[in-house]
Amino acid sequence: MKNGRIAIPSQGNGGLDGERSGHFGHCDVFTLVDVERGEIKKITTLPNQAHDQGGCMVPVNLLANNKVTALIVGGIGLRPLMGFNQVGIQVYHDATRPEIRPVVEDLIAGELPLIQEDQVCGGGRG
Amino acid sequence: MRAKASGTDRPSNKREIRAWGVIVIRLLFVTPARDSLAGLASALERNDEVELSWAQSGGNALDMVADTHFDLVVTDEFLGDMTGLELAERMLSVNPMINCAAVSKLSSKEFHEASEGLGLLAQLSAVPDKEEAEVLLQRLIDLKRRVADV
Repeated sequence: MKNGRIAIPSQGNGGLDGERSGHFGHCDVFTLVDVERGEIKKITTLPNQAHDQGGCMVPVNLLANNKVTALIVGGIGLRPLMGFNQVGIQVYHDATRPEIRPVVEDLIAGELPLIQEDQVCGGGRG
Repeated sequence: MRAKASGTDRPSNKREIRAWGVIVIRLLFVTPARDSLAGLASALERNDEVELSWAQSGGNALDMVADTHFDLVVTDEFLGDMTGLELAERMLSVNPMINCAAVSKLSSKEFHEASEGLGLLAQLSAVPDKEEAEVLLQRLIDLKRRVADV
């Protein structure tokens, strides 16, 4: 990834050296990483909004309105994933590493995969 | 669009409400037989802001949501050509922004597992009533406000 804004669902105060949150919709904050020409230029955080039943479009619109272009998740439901696709935010997947920094570095290096259908919560329904 | 209504010149029917620029809440009810959802429909239609349409099958509903934005699709449990949950999943490929509530006789826990990832607004009883209508409408209005506010 050369240019863009990456969002990482985060615990607590977030930040590049913070910890990831397991479910994007219920995170405390989103850590936002601005990338220019393949380099990290700026780190900010964005408080998440409350996420009630059926409210998964709230974080979708929140990130879209804050010009996010990529999202890194450990898990996500099918509806929010389709929502992110619709608003042009690409969703990447890493289910193993709890730290924010290494997954961001991998995404910038082009080494983080886009999420697959069988990795989606509730996806692959028969 | 006409100028905003003054206090003494309020719209008196749904057509005028739309003409005055008041937000209309568009609902689509999907069921092969209207009886089970008639009570819910009747309760919701008492609200001037609500505009309600019907589809008799999942396929019909998918055609309608492809052409029209609905704020909420209410689906019966079995639609003849698919189940309500299958419709909810297939609608995501058409427009994931459309909210969906589904009738289901499953327990809460079973419904939660069966609908995981679909982001449904509510599970409805087999014959949803006025009370469920009020809760559903308020939940939808609150959600629309929250989505608009972010």
